[in-house]
Amino acid sequence: MKKPLHKHIGGHAKKVHSHFTKYLYERDTIFATIWVFLFIVVLGSIPLNLGVINPIKLSLKDFDSNDLSYSKLGKGTDTKLDSNIVLINIGYADREVLSMMIDKAASMKPKVMALDAYFSGPREPHQDSLLTETFERNKNLIAAAVLNLSGEDGDTVTLTGNYINTASQYAFVNIFNDSLSTIRSYEPFFDDYAKKRYKSFSAAIVEAYDPVAYKKLEKKGTSKVIINYTRSLKKYQLIQYEDLLADNVESSSIEGKIVLFGYINEDPNDISDKKFTPMNSRYYGKSIPDMNGIVVHANIISMALEDNYIKKLPSWANLLIAVLVCWLHMSFFVRYYLESHIWFHLVAKIAQVLSAIFFVWLGIYLFDKYRLKVDLKLSLLVIVLAVDVIYFYEAWAVWMHKKFNYKTVFKPHHH
Amino acid sequence: MKKYLFLILLFLSAATVFGQGNSFLLYSFKGNVSILENKVESKAKVGKTLTSTASIKVPAGSAVTLICNEAAMFTIGKPGTYALTMFGDSCRVSSNSVSANYVKYVWAQMTKPSGSAGSNRKAYMNTVGAVSRNINNVWIDTRLDTVNYSGLVNEFPLSWKSYADAKDFEFLLYNSDNVSAPFFTTYVSKLKIPVKDFAKKIKPGTSYFWTAAIKGEVNEELKVFNYVTKEAFEIILDNIKKQGAAFEAPAEQAYRIGFMLEDAHYLAEAFEYYTKAATLDTANALYRTTLMSFKKDYEIK
Repeated sequence: MKKPLHKHIGGHAKKVHSHFTKYLYERDTIFATIWVFLFIVVLGSIPLNLGVINPIKLSLKDFDSNDLSYSKLGKGTDTKLDSNIVLINIGYADREVLSMMIDKAASMKPKVMALDAYFSGPREPHQDSLLTETFERNKNLIAAAVLNLSGEDGDTVTLTGNYINTASQYAFVNIFNDSLSTIRSYEPFFDDYAKKRYKSFSAAIVEAYDPVAYKKLEKKGTSKVIINYTRSLKKYQLIQYEDLLADNVESSSIEGKIVLFGYINEDPNDISDKKFTPMNSRYYGKSIPDMNGIVVHANIISMALEDNYIKKLPSWANLLIAVLVCWLHMSFFVRYYLESHIWFHLVAKIAQVLSAIFFVWLGIYLFDKYRLKVDLKLSLLVIVLAVDVIYFYEAWAVWMHKKFNYKTVFKPHHH
Repeated sequence: MKKYLFLILLFLSAATVFGQGNSFLLYSFKGNVSILENKVESKAKVGKTLTSTASIKVPAGSAVTLICNEAAMFTIGKPGTYALTMFGDSCRVSSNSVSANYVKYVWAQMTKPSGSAGSNRKAYMNTVGAVSRNINNVWIDTRLDTVNYSGLVNEFPLSWKSYADAKDFEFLLYNSDNVSAPFFTTYVSKLKIPVKDFAKKIKPGTSYFWTAAIKGEVNEELKVFNYVTKEAFEIILDNIKKQGAAFEAPAEQAYRIGFMLEDAHYLAEAFEYYTKAATLDTANALYRTTLMSFKKDYEIK
C-alpha cells in the first residue's frame, strides 16, 4: 500500500532531524565542541603575529561580509534624498572665494553651516582677513580643526588647523582609523587627560541643528559608533560653488538646512580626501577609495538625525551563537564520521559551504532589516575547525579510554 | 441611490489621489535651462522644487538632472520643452530585496567560471603597463557617437572603419557605470556587428558604452548606446507624427519621420521609415537616394 504524502514528508523530516540530533547530547559531541574553542583560545594566545605568513588573514583583515549589502546587493539604492543636508563643493577655491561662498550661503539663511577644511598657516593677508571676518560674522558656522594627540597615553590634545581662529565653534575632523582601512565607525567625542570633551565635526553639527538628536548621540560618549551608511553622494543635494556665486541656486533649498562645505570630486582618479567605505563597489582586496570625507560626515549626520544607529550584538551573544552553531555541526559531523565515514569529507565540505552561505545571509539580513550587526566570524571559524578537531578528538578520546576508561563512541583505529 | 453616490465619491477620491502629481527637484543643470510654471518662464535654479504641472525647456547643448519624489534621478540632455507629467515612468523606484539579490549574487558567482591571467590570456590581455600614444587604427563615424535604440528593429549594425589590415575585430560593450571592464565582448571578422547579436545582453531603459578595436589592440574611444523603452520611443514617435503638415502623403510622412528619427539618433528606426518611404513612392529619386546613402553610411547591406 502506498504511503500518504504527509507521511512521506514527515518520514524525511525525521530522518534529516536525526542526522543533526542523534549525537547531539553525546558526551563526545559536547567535549569535541569544547575542544574546538580550546583550540581557538590556544592558537589566539600565541604571542606572535602569525598573520604575517597568512595571506588569507592579511587579505581578509579589512573584510566585513555586510559590505556585500552595499556593494553588490543594492542596499541603499532606494534611499531617499536627505532633505536636511545640502553639500557645497568648494573645489580648489582659495580663502577669498571660500569667504564669498560662505557669505552667499549665509544670506539664504541656513540653520547650520560647517566647513570641512582646515587652515594650518597664513596665506595672502587680504584673503586671510576676508575669511577671518566671514568666520566672525557667521555665528552658525562650525569650522574644522585637527586634534593632535601627544603624551604617553595620547590624551594630551593640541588643536591645529585653526589658523583662522574667529569661528564661534571648532570641531575635530579626525577619524581615528587607518587611512587605508574601511571607515566603519567613528568617535563622536574625545576626552583628554583632564576630561575636557572635544566634539567631532558631525556631533557639533547635530547639536546645532537638532538638540534632541544630539542628546541621544551624547549618551554614546567616547565609544566608537558604527556608521550606518545610507546614502551615496547622489542622495544629497550637491551644489557647485560656481552655481552658488552665480545666483543659480534656489534660496529655499538652503533655508533652514545644514550646509556642508567640502571638497567633492566624482572623478575616480582623484582620491583627494577620499575614504574607503562599505559602499565601495569592490568589497575585498585592493581597491581605490570611494567617498569624499564630507559625504562620510553627511552620512553620520543623517544617521544621527534619523536615529538610524546600528546596534551591535554583544560579544557574549556572538560567542553563544558560535557555541550553538559548533555544537550542532559537531553532532552532524560525528554522525557521518562514525556511521558513513566514506561520505564524511564530502558531506562536511558541502555542509561548510552551505553553512557559510547561510550565515553570511543571516548576518546581512539582520543588518539590513533590523540594523543589527552580528559578528558571525567566530561561527564561521568554528564550522571550519570542527572537521579537523574531530580527528584530534578521536585520538584523544581513545587514549583517554585506554588510560582512564573514558566512555566514548569512538573506537580504536576507527578508520 | 446612496450606493451610487458612495461609488461616485469613492471614484472621485481615488481619482484625486492618483491625479496628484509627482514632485521634482532640480538637482543640477548646465546651459540656459528654463522653467515654465503657470505660463511664466523663469531661469532654472539648483534646488528648485517643481510640480508635475511645470514644464522644462532645454536648449541645445544644455542638460538638466531632476530627482523625482526625492528618489529617482534622471537627466534630460536632448533639446526641447518637456512637460514634467510625461516623466511619470522615471519616478518609479524599484524596491530592492537584499535577500533576493544575495541569492542571485551567490548563484552568479558560483556559476561564473574562475579564470586567471595564466589560464585565460585573452581575458587579461587589456592590462598593459604603458600609456597609449598610438594612432587609433579603428575609426568610428561621429554619427554613431550616440545611438538611441528602441528594440523594435533589429536589422541595424554598429560599424567602424579600419586603417590597418586586420582580420578580426573585438566589439566591447560596457555598463555606463563601469567603463573599466566590458560586460560583453565578442570577436567579429567584419567591420560591423548587427545589434541583434548583442540585443539579448542589454536591457531597455539602460545606457551603455561600446567600442570596437582590432583584435589585440585597445580603442579608448567610447560611444553611447541608449536602449530606450518601447514606451519612451512611442512618445517620441507620436510627437514626430503629430508634427506633419495637414495634407501629407504616406510616403512623405514616412520620409519625414525617417529624417526626424535620424536627427534624434534613432538610426535603426529611421532606416525602417526611409525604406517605407522608398517603397511607397518608388518613383521618387530623393527617397531612393536617401535610402541608398543611409545604407552606405551605416554599412547596411
